[in-house]
Amino acid sequence: MITQFFVCMLACLSFAVLFSAPKKECLLCALTGALSWIAYLVLEPAVGAVWACLFATLFLTVLSRIFAAVRKSPVTLYLVGGIFPLVPGSGIYYTSYYFIMNDMEMFAVKGMETFKIAGAIALGIIFALAIPQKVFHRSVKKKQEPE
Amino acid sequence: MSDSKEILTLAVEIGDTLLRSGGEIYRVEDTIMHILNAYGIENYDIYVLSNGIFASANEDKEDGCSIVRHVPLGNVHLGKIAAINQLSREIVAQTCDVETAWKRLEACRNIPSASPKTACFFCGVGCACFCYIFGGTLWDAGFTFLFGMILKALLLTMEKKKSSKFITNILGSAFVTAGSLILLNLGLPVLQDKIVIGGIMPLVPGIALTTSIRDLFNGDYLSGAIHLIDALLTAMCIAVGVGSMIILYRTIPGGVILR
Repeated sequence: MITQFFVCMLACLSFAVLFSAPKKECLLCALTGALSWIAYLVLEPAVGAVWACLFATLFLTVLSRIFAAVRKSPVTLYLVGGIFPLVPGSGIYYTSYYFIMNDMEMFAVKGMETFKIAGAIALGIIFALAIPQKVFHRSVKKKQEPE
Repeated sequence: MSDSKEILTLAVEIGDTLLRSGGEIYRVEDTIMHILNAYGIENYDIYVLSNGIFASANEDKEDGCSIVRHVPLGNVHLGKIAAINQLSREIVAQTCDVETAWKRLEACRNIPSASPKTACFFCGVGCACFCYIFGGTLWDAGFTFLFGMILKALLLTMEKKKSSKFITNILGSAFVTAGSLILLNLGLPVLQDKIVIGGIMPLVPGIALTTSIRDLFNGDYLSGAIHLIDALLTAMCIAVGVGSMIILYRTIPGGVILR
């Protein structure tokens, strides 16, 4: 688990650099990504991939918003940096693989799962964004950008 | 007090840079509105799409003016978004007059992206790490590092030649798949699927997906749909690239070992 955490952090850090995030914020981007990946790993055996993805994204977005409020930077910065481990890249691969292999049963299973995960990510972000900005302001007790 | 034309141009230029670097629609609209307010323009209208900005100010007065701007979908640059955010905060706090704002904007625009060498290296590291956390072995991660670096170099070259995004994505994912299949065919103990999954990470439309969701959530359906289509088509291109290579591998002699 600890190895996973650090490797994931390194992965997110690399992608943050790739998208030219400011140097000071790179580490926080990596932290959000790694923490939400750990959340996913912990939840996945208990509730299945889709729900785990939903909660991990929820966690990720809330975390990004807290960091954004504290560091006075846009939420996008942390959200984009941290979403990569959760995006269903493997789902896309397996779906197309089974399609090519003409294994329609597995294709349907994987395709549905990928679609559900994408939906879960969407819902996770939406729920977390629906939390009023005031909550985050109060938690850092500082003046924040006018919304 | 500068005239409305200059202020509007400044505001739209700032919005333009923000949009180009991958900011969400509501952020761009918000920023332009705050800047216009800060410089004392009260009567304005702004409409932002994911590839265009329409704005007008003081239409009912003598100095009425409007601007239409086409903004092509560009590369995501988080550093610029953060810098512009800082600039707009200062403008709103009235600590920055129009002239300084222009200079600051120029500085924001000139924030460099990662150099090609750095980009290649970090792309490799990122791919390798993703390969590892998705269940690959250290061997797989090592090969993925190599593929990731070459992939980024390939992407950068294609970007310079201005080839279509579709072709770039198809070729990129085809390259990674072909590489992994060659390794498999050489008899090396690799998990071919993990290498591909790690390798296509830089192509997967994670950012387009999140931006589109956020746009849709904010009620910018048109812009959200544009990004969503972008994400779906990119995913499809990746699937085509991966799939075509697997088919090719299965049709040539020796491909039987895949199953």
